[in-house]
Amino acid sequence: MARIGVFVCWCGENIARTVDVDRVVQEVAKLPGVRCAVNYKYTCSDPGQAMIREKIVSDKLDGVVVASCSPHMHLKTFRKTAQAAGLNPYLLEMANIREQCSWVHHDRDQATAKAIELIRLAVAKVKNDHALEPIKVPVTRRAMVVGGGVAGIQAALDIADAGYEVVMVERDPSIGGKMAGLSETFPTLDCSQCILTPRMVDVGQHPRIKLYTYSEVEAVEGFVGNFEITIRQKARYVDVTKCTGCGECSKVCPLKKNKSEFDFGMGMRPAIYMPFPQAVPARPVIDKNVCAKLIRNGCGLCEKKCAAGAINFEDTDRLVKEKVGAVVLATGFKLYDIGKKDGKIAGYGEYGYGKYKDVIDSLQFERLVSASGPTNGEIKRPSDGKTPKNVVFISCVGSRDNAKGLPYCSKICCMYTAKHTMLYKHKVHEGQAHVFYMDIRSGGKGYDEFVRRAIEQDGAKYYRGRVSKITEQDGKLIVRGADTLSGEPVTIEAEMVVLASAMQPADGVTQLAQKLNVGYDEFGFLMEGHPKLRPVETNAAGVYICGAAQAPKDIPESVAQASAAASKVLITLASSELTREPEIAHIDEKICAACYRCYEACPYHAIEKAEVRTPRGVFVKHTARVNAGLCMGCGTCVAVCPSKSADIEGFTEQETYAMVASLI
Amino acid sequence: MSETNTFEPKIVAFVCNWCTYLGADLAGTSRMEYPANVRIVRLPCTGRIDFNLLVKAFEMQADAVLISGCHPGDCHYNSGNFHARRRWMLFRDLLDLLGFDMRRIHFSWISAAEGHKFQQTVVEITEETRKLGPYKVYEGMPVAYPKFSETVMPLGDFSTQAELRESARKLLSESKVQVVIGYGERGPVFVTKAEDADKLVWNKECLANLTAYLKRKEIKALGKAAIVVKGCDERALVVLEQESQIERAKLHVIGMACEGLGIPKCAGCQVRQPRFADEVIGEAKPADPTDHYAALDDLMAMSPEERMGFWAEQFDRCQRCYACRQVCPMCYCEQCLVDKNQPQEIETSPTRKGNFAWQITRAFHQAGRCVGCGECTRVCPAGIDLWALNLVLERSAEKNFAYRAGVEKSDPFLIGSYSVKDKEEFIR
Repeated sequence: MARIGVFVCWCGENIARTVDVDRVVQEVAKLPGVRCAVNYKYTCSDPGQAMIREKIVSDKLDGVVVASCSPHMHLKTFRKTAQAAGLNPYLLEMANIREQCSWVHHDRDQATAKAIELIRLAVAKVKNDHALEPIKVPVTRRAMVVGGGVAGIQAALDIADAGYEVVMVERDPSIGGKMAGLSETFPTLDCSQCILTPRMVDVGQHPRIKLYTYSEVEAVEGFVGNFEITIRQKARYVDVTKCTGCGECSKVCPLKKNKSEFDFGMGMRPAIYMPFPQAVPARPVIDKNVCAKLIRNGCGLCEKKCAAGAINFEDTDRLVKEKVGAVVLATGFKLYDIGKKDGKIAGYGEYGYGKYKDVIDSLQFERLVSASGPTNGEIKRPSDGKTPKNVVFISCVGSRDNAKGLPYCSKICCMYTAKHTMLYKHKVHEGQAHVFYMDIRSGGKGYDEFVRRAIEQDGAKYYRGRVSKITEQDGKLIVRGADTLSGEPVTIEAEMVVLASAMQPADGVTQLAQKLNVGYDEFGFLMEGHPKLRPVETNAAGVYICGAAQAPKDIPESVAQASAAASKVLITLASSELTREPEIAHIDEKICAACYRCYEACPYHAIEKAEVRTPRGVFVKHTARVNAGLCMGCGTCVAVCPSKSADIEGFTEQETYAMVASLI
Repeated sequence: MSETNTFEPKIVAFVCNWCTYLGADLAGTSRMEYPANVRIVRLPCTGRIDFNLLVKAFEMQADAVLISGCHPGDCHYNSGNFHARRRWMLFRDLLDLLGFDMRRIHFSWISAAEGHKFQQTVVEITEETRKLGPYKVYEGMPVAYPKFSETVMPLGDFSTQAELRESARKLLSESKVQVVIGYGERGPVFVTKAEDADKLVWNKECLANLTAYLKRKEIKALGKAAIVVKGCDERALVVLEQESQIERAKLHVIGMACEGLGIPKCAGCQVRQPRFADEVIGEAKPADPTDHYAALDDLMAMSPEERMGFWAEQFDRCQRCYACRQVCPMCYCEQCLVDKNQPQEIETSPTRKGNFAWQITRAFHQAGRCVGCGECTRVCPAGIDLWALNLVLERSAEKNFAYRAGVEKSDPFLIGSYSVKDKEEFIR
């Protein structure tokens, strides 16, 4: 006969306010097999857990149900409690009477009745639970960081400095990300490249960092502690071991007018090009879409010029496999392409981006301001190269717009817009910056003082209102907006307009996330394990996230999250062995008919075709067999097995049917 | 407290741990209210959810069932939900034929970020179910009969008996095989001596699908076998080979060209000429094509209640003799699910609900495997129209996945494989 203990939590007021916990205890005590049923205010607290431990011992319980919050909250907590009392931790179940009961129903009778039924379901399950022992798997004590921006760089350096090898995979030909293209950063007006490039060099030279640039993650196999990741190294057509980075190839390349990715289209680069002078690795790459030799076997001047013989037009993509124990995703962001209709975003065609040359976005403005940019740091109009006397900065282009844009705030634009007005003023002393804003969000250390400076010291004019339309007249941009504080419409004749467009996750991140079983929200931002308590973990064990890939954020936050993710990686890699949850599948070889449907269906190829033999080695029959190291416990094999020789611990057929049967 | 007696529907939701369960938690954290009628059963993945659970929920008097999991491509376990989706598509067609109220069966993709969608879905389903009223799934249906349209029943001439006997004689005298499994005067014969070859017959009584004997230990113990098959039976060999139950190289297949046995299943037969046999005896003219699935339309012309009434009357006659299982070549499981009692997934007594559960299980276990040999229907002592259950799944497989069982041995399993393009209009 079972000896189950049921512990009903009040969760302070959270459950007890709606669910009649006394009546629940009364009713569930009547269930067959329930030895004791009590309620308590804060079951997860120290005294609460002590009470559970005492009851396990005093009542000789062989199963426990805790009716409280979601198992995603405290299942691990209570399992440890049971273990401390000598009860196998897998003989404990939870009934979710908070997130899925008291917090979503207001009728006391109905919520109480539901709570009782949910507990009855959990009791039915726990009666059929098996005692299980955790499984130990070896750990590959190396990590991978996907993304070489400031977040990825920080994470890689932290892990490598702690003594582990890091494989960094960066899609662009150089690491550095968006920060490498910025001019100065708020609130200190530090030169962005000056603070970043030493870190980039550290990565490039670190004895424990293996850097794959111009590369992408192609495929992922395995699981936490034991990932095998295939990387596609795209063809550069330059042998980086022979190349000295002298740059002569770029000088002789005749195809000089290609829009530079690094300058966001504000400048030009040749077909064979170094991404930017401080690139790491400092090696050029050939744009295979425009190179005359690759397309029609012409030119070839760079090959002739190269003294090191490093040009290789026969280069091909290479697939490389790396084994790692943990992965950090730091894939960063892109700016929303303003004119484009993109899913829910209807486009902001009224701003004339793409139509008027002098309407640019904020990253493009950074390149104009940057001393190493296409205009050597002089602010010049893209249309005629003249210096603009009036520049309008428009905030929230695409952000905070439920109707036709993205509903969220992109967080950094208020700060960088203020910065832009200051940089503009420092370079064009007689210029006037106009900012159209909805709110000013400047919550960081020194941030609000920074914005004040832009307004009070550098004379930026701030109008609280939106811009309805931008038109062109006689070479000037007519910006029509509103100033809601004065109640007046505002029209400004500007020579340049800078749009602070929304931050979105980088292209292709959802496909990468799917390869790693990482969730993402409707905007493509990677999902954290818990918004408060697990901000850098994901629901995929061994995969961590940091930086703008998770949500819009600035550099200090990205760096902080990167170190946080690195610390989580270090926990995973701390020992050469990991314990894994034992809720995995197994096959009853006595009745398996070896049809191998499970073998075909398993998403992890964790099932093998095997033989049953006597101890003397005589063949008895064919069977399917689960590899305990690979099985991730999804249960797909169980559903496709016609005889149910396949079953899964923790969610056995017996348990599942008992749960459904309890629902009368 | 309500003054009138409002019906409170009981809704069972089978959800996956990683997406929908977390989505429900998010609804809770965000205090999104919804009716208290839903009971959530947490499973690791929708891939884990077997169709029997749905049937069990209705047996337990659920008024509606929701199955919900991660969006395609986002499954925490890569592809569990793709497998689930494929099963759901097939299972719905079977339940529809049986007359289940499809308005009470719901599928959805709800991610961990979609607390609002979870709330909305529960609210909608609760209200819809409240309007539909309580669901006593196997009660209160009218007795109804479909009007089956006429079918052609082609009958061939069976003139190649002598050739068959000669071939068997040769195989046995040259010790190429140790036994010839074939048709005899009054049932199957297992000829082990060349001089007994005349026991073999080839006539319009050769209805059985002899491939069912290949799973028997006693037959396997006889040594290398030759087997007499018609084109329809030969498809079973393809499936058995796909499922690693026979070694084709250790079997000698004698294919008999056949122009019909004079029974309905022969109408429009596309396999009159065996395709994979080691030797083919005879030649058959191709059949006039017919609408293979016409009889299903006759059934679907009835209302769901009438359909369930029809099937209830049929299944009430089922004595659970399991002749249908014994005769089917695809039923080779060492221990059939219905014989399992820990847990007892299917009630073994011949009650209405037990019989429905058995028939649903038998039919669904044949999805993508049944080759339409019709043996189950032929041997049923209660005269139940079992062929219709298998045929509706055959049509579902062909319509939804362009899949036919027993055509190519290199085909993947229907259940056990999936496509990212599998249709899903019925999923919220």
